[in-house]
Amino acid sequence: MESLDLGRLTENMLAQHRRSERNEKIFGIFRALGPFVGLIALWWGVHAIFDPSPTKLVAPDKVVDAFFESVGEGVLPAYILQSLQRLGFGVIIGVVVGIPVGWLLGLDKEIAKAAEPTLRFFNAVSGIAWLPLLVTWFGFTERTISSIIIYTMIFPVVFNTMVGVRTVPPVLRDAARSMGASWPRIIKDVYVPGSFPSVMTGLRLGIGFGWRALIAGEFVVGGGGLGFFIFDARTAGVIERVMLGMIVLGVLWLMIDRLILRPVEEYTATKWGMVRQ
Amino acid sequence: MTALAPVGARQTIWDRVKVVLVPAIPFLLILAVWASVRTIYDHPISVLPRIIDVIEVPFREERYWSNVRASIWRLVLGFTVAATTGIFVGLIAGLSRRVAQTLNPLVTAMNAISGIAWIPLAIAWLGVGTSMVVFIIWNAAFFLIFGNTMLGVRLTPQILEESLLTLGANRWDVIRQVVFPGALPYIMSGLRAGLGFGWRAVIAAELVGATSGLGQWIFEQQEFARADNIVAGALTIGVIGLLMDRVLLAPLERRTIERWGLVESSA
Amino acid sequence: MAAERAGASATASATLTVDHLSHWFIDQQSGSTVHALDDINLAIQPGEFVTVVGPSGCGKTTLLKILAGFIKPNSGEAKVKGKAITKPGPDRGVVFQELAILPWRNVYRNISHGLEIQKVPKADRDRRVAELIELVGLSGFEKHHPHQLSGGMRQRVAVARTWASNPEIILMDEPFAAVDAMTRQTLQEELNRISVETGKTVFFITHSVEEAVFLGDRVIAMSARPGRVKEAVVVPIPRAERTWQSMSTDPAMAQCVDEVLGLVRGEHEASLVAEGSALEES
Repeated sequence: MESLDLGRLTENMLAQHRRSERNEKIFGIFRALGPFVGLIALWWGVHAIFDPSPTKLVAPDKVVDAFFESVGEGVLPAYILQSLQRLGFGVIIGVVVGIPVGWLLGLDKEIAKAAEPTLRFFNAVSGIAWLPLLVTWFGFTERTISSIIIYTMIFPVVFNTMVGVRTVPPVLRDAARSMGASWPRIIKDVYVPGSFPSVMTGLRLGIGFGWRALIAGEFVVGGGGLGFFIFDARTAGVIERVMLGMIVLGVLWLMIDRLILRPVEEYTATKWGMVRQ
Repeated sequence: MTALAPVGARQTIWDRVKVVLVPAIPFLLILAVWASVRTIYDHPISVLPRIIDVIEVPFREERYWSNVRASIWRLVLGFTVAATTGIFVGLIAGLSRRVAQTLNPLVTAMNAISGIAWIPLAIAWLGVGTSMVVFIIWNAAFFLIFGNTMLGVRLTPQILEESLLTLGANRWDVIRQVVFPGALPYIMSGLRAGLGFGWRAVIAAELVGATSGLGQWIFEQQEFARADNIVAGALTIGVIGLLMDRVLLAPLERRTIERWGLVESSA
Repeated sequence: MAAERAGASATASATLTVDHLSHWFIDQQSGSTVHALDDINLAIQPGEFVTVVGPSGCGKTTLLKILAGFIKPNSGEAKVKGKAITKPGPDRGVVFQELAILPWRNVYRNISHGLEIQKVPKADRDRRVAELIELVGLSGFEKHHPHQLSGGMRQRVAVARTWASNPEIILMDEPFAAVDAMTRQTLQEELNRISVETGKTVFFITHSVEEAVFLGDRVIAMSARPGRVKEAVVVPIPRAERTWQSMSTDPAMAQCVDEVLGLVRGEHEASLVAEGSALEES
C-alpha cells in the first residue's frame, strides 16, 4: 500500500511557493524597469532617425557620459548638496514656525475658520509669483531663494496642521476632560499627537511645493544648485547636462518622497487610522 | 411641568454677516500692517508701494490686461489639450491591468520631474514664446490627469463593468456608462490638481522664457523696479488661481460627483 | 405623604440626583428647537446600577452628557452628592459610545492616562494598570495599539481606562453597541462582575432591553421625544447572582424583560409616528 508522505508533500509545496514568490519579485522588478527601458529605446530611436542638432536632443549615452563627467568634476554633487541644503533650511523653518502656528490657529474653531480663506489665498499665489518682488527687495541673493522656499512651504504646513487639529474627534477631548485634564494637558495629550498625520501631509505637500519653487528660484537667481545647473547648461547649449539635471531632479524627488515622506505619513495613518471612522 | 424654550434661539442675521466678515479679518489685518509700515517709512514705489498704487494698476496699465489675457489663453489651450488627452489615454490605459501597471512607474517619474524643470529643455526645443509655455502647461497637467484617470478606472469595481456587459452592452457603452462615471471622482481630483499645477507652470514658464504674459510682465517690471505692478501681478495670479478652482471646478464637482453621492463635499 | 417622605430620604442619600430637569437645543441643520428632555426626576443610590432604555432620540444621551457635565441643562438641576454638576471631572467617569481611546497610545498607556492626569506616581500607576488589565481580560496585550485590536477589546480598554481612576460614578453610553453579539454577552457578564466587585454607581444607557435588564438593579424606561421618565422597573434577581443563562431560564427575569419591552415598544411606535410626520413636513 502506498502511503502519502504528507511531510514531504508540504515541504515541496512550500519550496515551490517560495520559488514562485521569488520569481514574482524578479519579474516585478523587470516590469517596473520595463517602461523606462522602453522609453530609453524610444529616445535612442528618435535620435537615430531624426538626427537633431546637439543643441536640441542628444543620445542617451551622452547623458550617461555627462553624468560621470560632472560627478568627476565634483560639480554635480556640489550643486545637489546646495539645493538640498536650501531645501533643508526651508523645512526647518517650516517645521519650527509653521507647525506651532497651525496648532494655535486650529485650537479655536472661529479663528480657524477666519484664517482659512487667507491661507488658501496665499497658498494660491505661488512663491514663484513673488520672485520679482523678492528680487527687487533682496537682489539676486541667497536670501531671495530662502524667502521663496519658506513662503511656499509655510502655507501648506500651517493649513494642514490647522486642519489636523480641527479634525481630531471631539470625543477624544471629552474623554480627557472627563478624566480631569486641564486645557494645556488636553492640547499636549490629544491635539498635538492627534494632528500628527495631517502635519505629515502638510509637510509632504510643503516640501513638494517648496522643491519646485526652489528650482524655479535657482533658474532665476542662480548661485549654485541643481536649478542653476540645468538653466546654465541650456544657456550654454549643453543639452546632455540639461537632461541629466532633469533626471537627477526626478530621482532625488522620488527618493525624498517615497523613501522618507510617504512611509512616515503611511505609518502615522495606520496607527492613527482608527481616528477617521 | 414644561418650561419655556430659551429666547433668541434661532439663527440671526448677525450670524450670517459674521460668516462673511470674520474670514476677511486676516486680510484687513494685513492691509492695516501694510498701511502703517508705509506711513512710518514712506518707501519709494520700488520697494513698498502704497495700497492705492497697487489697486490702480489694472486701471492704469493697459498692458496688464493684455498680459492677463495672454496667460489665461495659454492656460486654456494647454489645459484643454492636457485634459482631453489625459482622460482619453487614461481611460484606455486603465482598462487593462497590465498596461496600467506598466505605465504607472512612468507616470510617477514624469510627475517627479516637475513641469518647471522641463522649461529649459522646452526652450531648447521650441524656443521662447507661446508654444513653449503651452507645452509646459500640457506637461504639468497631463501626467497628473492621466495618472489619476488611470487610477480611477482601475479602482472602479470590476463588477459594475461585468454586470453591464451581461445586459448586452458593448465595450464602448461600458466605458461611457460605467467606467467613466465610476472614475469621475479621481478624474475630477486630477483635473483640479492639474489646473493648479498648470497655472503655476504658466507663470514660471513665462517668467523664464516668454515675451508676454503675466509671468513675463512681473519679471520685466522687476527690472524697472515697479513694485506696485509686481504686487498687483502677483495678487492677480493668486486671484485667478483661486477663481478657477472655486468658480469652475468646485461647482462642476458638486454637480456631478457630489450629487451622485460619490464623495462628500470638500471645504 | 409617606411616599413623599420616603422619596425625600432617598434623595438625601443619593449619589446622583436629577431634579425637574428639562432641556432644549437648536438643531443645527433645520434651525428648529428640539425639546430633548422634559421634567426628569431621578435619584440614584450609591452602588446602584441603573440602566436606561428608550427609543432613538428620546434624550438618553443628552441626559448622560448633562450628568457628565458636558451640557448645562436649561431648566432644573443635576447634582452629584448634593453639589450641582457644572463641568466634567474624574469623579464621574465616562465610557463613550464612539471610540474614545487614543489611537496613538498602546493599551497600557491608554489605561494609565487618567492616572497620569492625576499625577499618580509611576509605581502605583503600574500596579493599578496591571490590576485592570487582568480585570478586563487583556493580559498580554499591553503593548498593542488600538488599531491592532478588535472592537470588543477596544471597548475593554475604554472600560479599563475609566475604571482605573477609580471614579465613584461611571456613566456609560451604549458602550457595547458596536460589538458583535458573542463578545457583547461576554463583556456584559464581565461588566456585571466588575461592578459588583467594585461597588460603583453606574448609569448605563442602552437600546437593548435584555442588556438593560441583565445589567441593571433598576431599569428606567424613557418616553419618546421629549424624553420623560415613564417608569422604573426593579429587576428581581440580585446582580451578583445573574448569568446570561439565567436570563432565559429564570421566569422572573423573563417577565421583567417583557414588562420593560412593553413599556418601550409603545414609545418606539410613537417615535416612529413622530419621525414619519416630521419627514412629511420637510
